[in-house]
Amino acid sequence: MSEEPVDVLIVGAGASGAAMAWSLAETRMKILCLEQGDWMDPAQYPSTSLDWETRQFGDFALSPNSRRRREDYPINDDDSPISVSNFNAVGGSTILYAAHFPRFHPADFKLRTLDGVADDWPIDYARLEPYYAQNDRMMGVSGLAGDPAYPPKQLPLPPLPLGKLGHTLARGFNKLGWHWWPSDSAIASQPYEGRAACINLGPCILGCAQGAKASTDVTYWPVAVRNGVELRTRCRVREITIDENGMADGVIYYDAEGMECRQKAEIVVLACNGVGTPRLLLNSRSKLFPDGLANRSSLVGRNLMFHPYAMVTGIFDEPLDGYKGPTGCCIMSQEFYETDPSRGFVRGYSFEMLRGMGPVSTALWGMSSGRIPWGADHHQAYGKVFNRTAGMVVICEDLPELHNRVTLDPELVDSDGIPAPKVSYRLSENSTRMLEHSVARGKEVLEASGAKMTSAEAPLPPAGWHLMGTARMGTDARSSVVNEWGRCHDVRNLFIIDGSIFVTAGAVNPTCTIQALTLYIADSIKKNLANLFD
Amino acid sequence: MSEEMIHPRFSDHEERALATVLDQIIPPRSDGRLPGAGGLGLVRHIEQVVQQAPHLRPVIVQGLSALDKLARSRNPAGFVALSSQDKSELLSQLTASQQGFLPSLIFHTYVGYYQDARVVEALGLEARPPFPKGHEMEPNDLSLLDPVRQRPKLYRQG
Ligand SMILES: Cc1cc2nc3c(=O)[nH]c(=O)nc-3n(C[C@H](O)[C@H](O)[C@H](O)COP(=O)(O)OP(=O)(O)OC[C@H]3O[C@@H](n4cnc5c(N)ncnc54)[C@H](O)[C@@H]3O)c2cc1C
Repeated sequence: MSEEPVDVLIVGAGASGAAMAWSLAETRMKILCLEQGDWMDPAQYPSTSLDWETRQFGDFALSPNSRRRREDYPINDDDSPISVSNFNAVGGSTILYAAHFPRFHPADFKLRTLDGVADDWPIDYARLEPYYAQNDRMMGVSGLAGDPAYPPKQLPLPPLPLGKLGHTLARGFNKLGWHWWPSDSAIASQPYEGRAACINLGPCILGCAQGAKASTDVTYWPVAVRNGVELRTRCRVREITIDENGMADGVIYYDAEGMECRQKAEIVVLACNGVGTPRLLLNSRSKLFPDGLANRSSLVGRNLMFHPYAMVTGIFDEPLDGYKGPTGCCIMSQEFYETDPSRGFVRGYSFEMLRGMGPVSTALWGMSSGRIPWGADHHQAYGKVFNRTAGMVVICEDLPELHNRVTLDPELVDSDGIPAPKVSYRLSENSTRMLEHSVARGKEVLEASGAKMTSAEAPLPPAGWHLMGTARMGTDARSSVVNEWGRCHDVRNLFIIDGSIFVTAGAVNPTCTIQALTLYIADSIKKNLANLFD
Repeated sequence: MSEEMIHPRFSDHEERALATVLDQIIPPRSDGRLPGAGGLGLVRHIEQVVQQAPHLRPVIVQGLSALDKLARSRNPAGFVALSSQDKSELLSQLTASQQGFLPSLIFHTYVGYYQDARVVEALGLEARPPFPKGHEMEPNDLSLLDPVRQRPKLYRQG
């Protein structure tokens, strides 16, 4: 089946695909987005039923391998201590994300110059700054101006509640004289652009039934669709096709009924995330591109960066009401963000405070940590933990390394028979040292806040939710896949806009940077429309 | 084939033994405010779990049978007739020979117990889903930021 050609074809309707569709809509070009997932129904999200905590093991599991929804594709991550977490739907992984929304620091774009490691980006913070601001307005970001860890910025909404837990930890940071600040959060603290305000449900990473969290199905997409973009769901793209000149001319995909379809396009934009995008490129082989499309540099799939995470938890004497409030958006600390050679590693990390746990999660955490035994002492032990935990995740900067990569699995396929991605990843010595340092500092601040017991897990196995680096940006076609505005060096009408194009990872959650980059690339496309392929 | 034949239910004997094991995993609370997991009726919950994950049924059935065999060497009336301490000892002993049995039962018992409305209420919470009521939270005390505001800039210029 062959459809009418379009001007722009976007593959993937997540954080980046949505922002691109919205931005390009004003050009009045014919824009189509193909997404393998469907629209979500917030009325069915876990927080609407009493078994909300349990659904994290079923249809809202973080790993597609456990979730196994029709629209999920399997990922072989056996060769990695960190497994991949994602979501496949309109909104992509923002359906599950915690919406912690810190920007990169200016220094994050200049690692080679400032710290002598990895590479500089071909663009800098100043270039992205207006797009960060534009994205903050579109997503409805809550936060507080004046953070000394950042250049000045103004956010559209006031900060979310710190709660008893946040206040307790803030006092601990103050005791040590360490930096902390209310988190920049893509969650509406007040009614915003037709979205209701956050009512502190708790489980943001199981979808937001209130619609306060800025998943792109409730932010960019409704406007983009209103402005004429066509979003075709349940369409899984198998490969990008090329013409005799080596230009992309469309895609082959499977529709909701599993029918093979062809879609022609003038411009193709990939927004399938740091694993889905290299998978698609590597699956698009031809005589002209025998090693995968746009892969003359051999860098497609390489330099995969997660952010190695640690989780540090403290148990307090006092109830902290931690089951109230957005899971991952409370306060954060960047005391150890910038490089300090005396620490024994380069670069640094952020602390992102987590709220406490609900009744089931408390029991299961107690089971796995050995703090809540079965048997006679069960209730006493449970009573000491429930509603008395607070903690944090640590987000460590991951440096790019060629051997950390996404390839195609020789055997595993998805339900349409398309080869699945395989992830191979090793934790570096630098990351290991950084994790050790962060766990020790995390315990120190929890104790300063009043924790009587602390424990930690590092690296955190399911924390492969930030997917970056697998089609990196650069000015030299030999050492990068896309140029400084997202256009593939080898295929000049093919653009990549997701986290694949990151040169380095920073030590913050990546989504606002992914979206700022997308808006900047969209603007570059608009500015260069007359001679886009030169 | 009937649903019953595809997914047979636990026998009455297995159900009684299972309830006893569940009460060992989470016993009644000493203040009497909460029954144990068996008394709370979590056998039904485990039954639902194995309907959805049929590979667990043989693990549980074989575990219960092995437990009964072990128990009869102490008391001919079987596991349910043992003292609480003996039950607990036998369950611990069983972990070596029936590896999946106790860990999976503990997991599903913890899940079933702590999402039960009666337990949630006994913990001092309202037995309701988070949505649509949400939660009230205390107002922010941003004066705590005063020392942080006084710090010089912490970022390096790129
Ligand atoms: C549990 C969790 C918590 C997170 N928390 C945070 C956080 O607090 N802050 C933060 O900044 N980030 C967070 N993230 C990460 C964040 O969600 C991602 O960075 C962001 O969504 C990436 O955007 P993207 O557009 O690159 O990809 P995605 O949002 O993943 O979207 C990719 C889309 O492409 C579609 N797709 C892929 N392949 C194909 C194909 N072949 N054909 C058709 N469609 C395809 C997918 O179905 C998906 O919808 C979290 C992620 C998870 C899973």
